[in-house]
Amino acid sequence: MNEIIVSMEGICKSFPGVKALDHVNFELRAGEVMALLGENGAGKSTLMKVLSGVYTRDSGSLKIFDKEYGDLTPKQAQEAGVAIIHQELNMCRHLSVAENMFLGREIKRGLSLNNAKMEAEAKRILDDLKIDIDPKQTVGDLPVSKQQMVEIAKALSIDARILIMDEPTSSLTAREIEDLFRIIKKLKSEGKGIVYISHRLEELQHIVDRVTIMRDGQYITDMNFSDVTMEQIISYMVGREIKEKFPRVECQKGKKVFEVKHLNAGRMVRDINFSVYEGEIVGFAGLMGAGRTETTRAIFGVDPKESGEIYVDDKEVKINCPMDAIRNGVVLAPEDRKKDGLCTKLSIKHNLTLPNLDIVCNKAGVVDSKKEKELCDKAVSNLRIKTPSIEVDSGNLSGGNQQKVVVGKWLARDSRVVIFDEPTRGIDVGAKVEIYNLMNELKKQGIAVMFVSSEMPEVMGIADRIIVMCDGRITGEVMARETTQNEILTLATTFEDKKINSQSGGEEK
Amino acid sequence: MNNKKQSPIKRLLAVKGMGAALTAFVGLIIIYIAFGLINSAVFSSNNILNLLRSMSKYLLIGIAQSYVLITGNIDLSIGSMVAMSAMISATLMTLGVNPLLAVLIALLCCLVIGIINGILVGQFKLPPFIATLGTMFVGRGIAYMVNNNRNTDAIATGIGKEAGDKFQNFFYYGTTAGVYNTFWIAIIMFVIFFFLLSKTRTGRHIYAIGSNIDAAKLSGVNVVATTTKAYLVSAVCSWVVGLILCAQAGMGNMEAGNMYEMYGVAAGVIGGVSPLGGTGILLGTLAGSAVWQTLENGLNMIGAQVGIQRLVIGIIVVVAVLLDVVLRSGQFTKKKKG
Repeated sequence: MNEIIVSMEGICKSFPGVKALDHVNFELRAGEVMALLGENGAGKSTLMKVLSGVYTRDSGSLKIFDKEYGDLTPKQAQEAGVAIIHQELNMCRHLSVAENMFLGREIKRGLSLNNAKMEAEAKRILDDLKIDIDPKQTVGDLPVSKQQMVEIAKALSIDARILIMDEPTSSLTAREIEDLFRIIKKLKSEGKGIVYISHRLEELQHIVDRVTIMRDGQYITDMNFSDVTMEQIISYMVGREIKEKFPRVECQKGKKVFEVKHLNAGRMVRDINFSVYEGEIVGFAGLMGAGRTETTRAIFGVDPKESGEIYVDDKEVKINCPMDAIRNGVVLAPEDRKKDGLCTKLSIKHNLTLPNLDIVCNKAGVVDSKKEKELCDKAVSNLRIKTPSIEVDSGNLSGGNQQKVVVGKWLARDSRVVIFDEPTRGIDVGAKVEIYNLMNELKKQGIAVMFVSSEMPEVMGIADRIIVMCDGRITGEVMARETTQNEILTLATTFEDKKINSQSGGEEK
Repeated sequence: MNNKKQSPIKRLLAVKGMGAALTAFVGLIIIYIAFGLINSAVFSSNNILNLLRSMSKYLLIGIAQSYVLITGNIDLSIGSMVAMSAMISATLMTLGVNPLLAVLIALLCCLVIGIINGILVGQFKLPPFIATLGTMFVGRGIAYMVNNNRNTDAIATGIGKEAGDKFQNFFYYGTTAGVYNTFWIAIIMFVIFFFLLSKTRTGRHIYAIGSNIDAAKLSGVNVVATTTKAYLVSAVCSWVVGLILCAQAGMGNMEAGNMYEMYGVAAGVIGGVSPLGGTGILLGTLAGSAVWQTLENGLNMIGAQVGIQRLVIGIIVVVAVLLDVVLRSGQFTKKKKG
């Protein structure tokens, strides 16, 4: 057994109205990858923020490398060797890779900066990790995966020995994940301790040594990964057995509800044709950057269309802005909830009613607070949004609950078509199943459901029919029950001939 | 839900932005009493009435700026619209135009500036600082040009003494129920705009685009229309302030409303309106404008020089916001058990 480098005992932390951590224990050894698991809101991120000095704990003891710390400041934590790679990357997008890595501790020569030395040093660290990035490149121009690696490199450049990775793979492609895992294994072999937070349980087996499981702010258990099955982990996390990861309901396929013909909108949406029938969920699969999000945005009227027709219940509708779409019964729960889905500074109530103000307002545009409360209470209980009150700022909710608010605001309306763009990204198993059940519910009601997802198992498990896109075109359509991952992947990588030679790699890398 | 049995006070405090507004009110009371202890004339009913009247201008421009700040933008053209309103209405009245018609023409001109602001910022996505900097200069230029780069004569010379007095009394010198009309005008507008912001669809949209413009758009909010509405509210308030200044002087002054946009920012910010958008309530602006005016009034009463007055007010603005920031971040670091 390696030495214990982090030891936290009986950690408590409360926020106004919420007990975020309740006597939590946590332990990390050198040279291991420790998965910190739990549903959204279980307190994982809070615990790690305590460890990195962002939050001050209310009580409990905290030892890093056998040194006891009182009120740990972020600077002390950094000096002790703790580094967090955040879910949302913290980079100055306009600065270069080297400038970012040495931000705040620039190397100087006299009064001026010694750029050459910083670049050389950055290069050395990047090379050491076998990451192929030019230190002079502007960070904003790099793909997200590379930015993340720069962050890892930055952490290592300040001699971090405890790395906390919060959902590092949530926006990476399969290839990029492999690269990341290679780096993690290398760090592990060098004796660094790594805390790995992820909702993608299936990827744990590749790297994880031990797991710590939390639930509702409490420590549940920790154990060796090899001693435990996935089912056990899940039941520890949610505190109940999840019978089916992908619950599917059977419905009679009815009449056509939604049809898109010859939709064109820029390079990423080219001649899209498809239709959705009553009683089915149509999945949209493909690699990142295949044009699925762009398609949903064009349908919803966020981005301009060049051409194309859209039919709802066999009637052609003109959609030039989101309001047109909403009026015609087409709604979209967008992919990036922080950016497009949620007004984080506003309360849950205000978020839920924002697109439904026509329902809760009288003719003069005055909000009927009783109707509003009814609508919100219904949404909160239907979606099981965990919150003390609907007046709470939506930004204070955990990821899964935020997502439920994003979805919830569309379900109060009588829509005909509901488009979900990556509705389960970054949320936990329990919340995922709830979102699936919600889609099934819509399906049963005869509402056309469009389900965009990059996670193959969930598209195959939930959708009835799968449309595969690649490079802005539809490259195939398969029935979910008759297809295989390989078939979908083949369709998803069917680039046009001329692209294969020039830049097909751009999508995948 | 388990929050049904909350006391009214608790529920009041649960309203977003109420904390900052109440803090400003408490500050107001402290400042007022402090000045009163130095010079008891501060407590005289005469002074209170004057205070309420001069506060009204700041309340109105505070409302104007708060609306725009909550959308996440800023309106630098407020002072210029005030001057336009004063100069256009005064010039027309000296020419003998019916006062009602004169003020309506002034309103129209202010609304045009508001619409231009809204379209530049909402439709063409110009940074609001730049767009309204432009309209600020344009508006001031118009205010100068209206009467050939001169202040106007007394309005009574055009519309006669009787009508002139009536106009001046209506907006400034007259009283209703013992309080100056100016205050009533401001309070009525406050109530209207408070209601608009907190209880209507338009209000919700204003908060939404200030908090997250992309999410608002995807929720079907018309961003251009909402932005323009906020700038129009700003224009209407500035128009009224222009009329008040015109009535006070009995003539049009080209420099009227100079720097008012910044006073508006100060009033809003002291009351907890975030310049980053999405947060703040008009009750805060009410408190903020009262703090501002009480300071000015109190410093005057204790005989402080203008220079000192500016200096103190500047410090108070920063301290008010600093206090708010510290208190808010304090919630996270303070050790609370249970």
